[in-house]
Amino acid sequence: MQTPQEISSLLALVARKDRAAFGAVYQATSAKLYGIVLRILKRRDIADEVLQEVYVKIWERAADFDPKMASPITWMATIARNRALDEVRRKKPDSIEDHPEVLNIASGEDLAIDEILKGEDGKRLYDCLSRLEPDRAQMIVLAYCEGLSREDLGTRYSQPVNTIKTWLRRSLLQLRTCLSP
Amino acid sequence: MTQSMTGTDDIDGLAAEYVLGTLDASERATVSARRQREPELDTAIRSWQRRLAPLNNAIPEAAVPSSTWQKIETRITGASSRPGGSAEVVDLRRRLKVWRTSAITASAIAASLILVVGVRELTPQPKPKNLVAVLQKDAASPAFLVTVNIEDRLMTVQPVAAKREAGKSYELWIVHDSLGAPKSLGIIDDAAAMQRPTLAAYKRDVIEGATLAVSLEPEGGSPTGAPTGPVVFAGKMIETSN
Repeated sequence: MQTPQEISSLLALVARKDRAAFGAVYQATSAKLYGIVLRILKRRDIADEVLQEVYVKIWERAADFDPKMASPITWMATIARNRALDEVRRKKPDSIEDHPEVLNIASGEDLAIDEILKGEDGKRLYDCLSRLEPDRAQMIVLAYCEGLSREDLGTRYSQPVNTIKTWLRRSLLQLRTCLSP
Repeated sequence: MTQSMTGTDDIDGLAAEYVLGTLDASERATVSARRQREPELDTAIRSWQRRLAPLNNAIPEAAVPSSTWQKIETRITGASSRPGGSAEVVDLRRRLKVWRTSAITASAIAASLILVVGVRELTPQPKPKNLVAVLQKDAASPAFLVTVNIEDRLMTVQPVAAKREAGKSYELWIVHDSLGAPKSLGIIDDAAAMQRPTLAAYKRDVIEGATLAVSLEPEGGSPTGAPTGPVVFAGKMIETSN
């Protein structure tokens, strides 16, 4: 991965419609963004389509990127996640039986949890997640990384959807309090 | 936090779940519309994006289909696709890995012009049209972006954040083990982006494998033809597909 500063510089050029810089941004970030959307969408065909839309958006909106507000990868990951989540929530996904190509990556088992510790913000978040009850922390990670809905989580944890919602809100509030300076 | 049902917390809880991704389709659409006219909600969403962003690090990268880049290019061009794009991307992906490895030693490169560019492609690859190098001092200081059209060897130098010291000049050098000593590509003090045909003398594979470095020289450039001042920025050539 190129440094955030390099990608920020490249995005500044993309904002001026520099194709070469856009190509470099794509090369540096597409595997990451594809990982993000694929994990949420579970299907390569849909993830491929969504990834295209994400980069078209990055091309169109590069001028909106403000390095003071977020790192470039966070900015791009946000675009990718939003688009993927809109897509996955849009309709009930087809059942796995209908699509044998669906990836079996909903378990979260191959997530690189230690990687969360990268950087100061990551260490703080990890620390605060560790203070939640283990299943609540796991729930947050699964929702964020795997795109699980309240219904998915309800099934997984054998709880009514309203209980899941209450748990999530409470856990998020605890996180916010813990992360407050 | 005891007032979990206050308006503020409700907005914050909604923002948090929006970012977490657990809202259903209609809730997402509502939040997405509301944030346009509710700065408080928008701010809360941005804060949650920042808080949870480290979770992105846990998600492994995935290999992108090689055809995807060309489809994106077609979309942003709004015209018919260009030939050769995907093959170039595959090639570039491979090379970028090499470049990433090299990037770890970027500061070492900046510390000295004596370096070994060790990794070469074993098999001939489809030749791309453009190369890019981000020249930087360290991770914190990107300074110039250099683009090279490999077909006509035309080089464009765009200052990103470089500030020149009074009485000094930035001189650009090409470094490659086959060249022996660094070769000057000229002074790059002009504020505007510039194009110079000075790469015409170099072979394609030398340019592709080169590192570009910028040294700080007396005004007007090195008096000796070799770098005399400190190397302040450096970066390796990487390929792009357009």
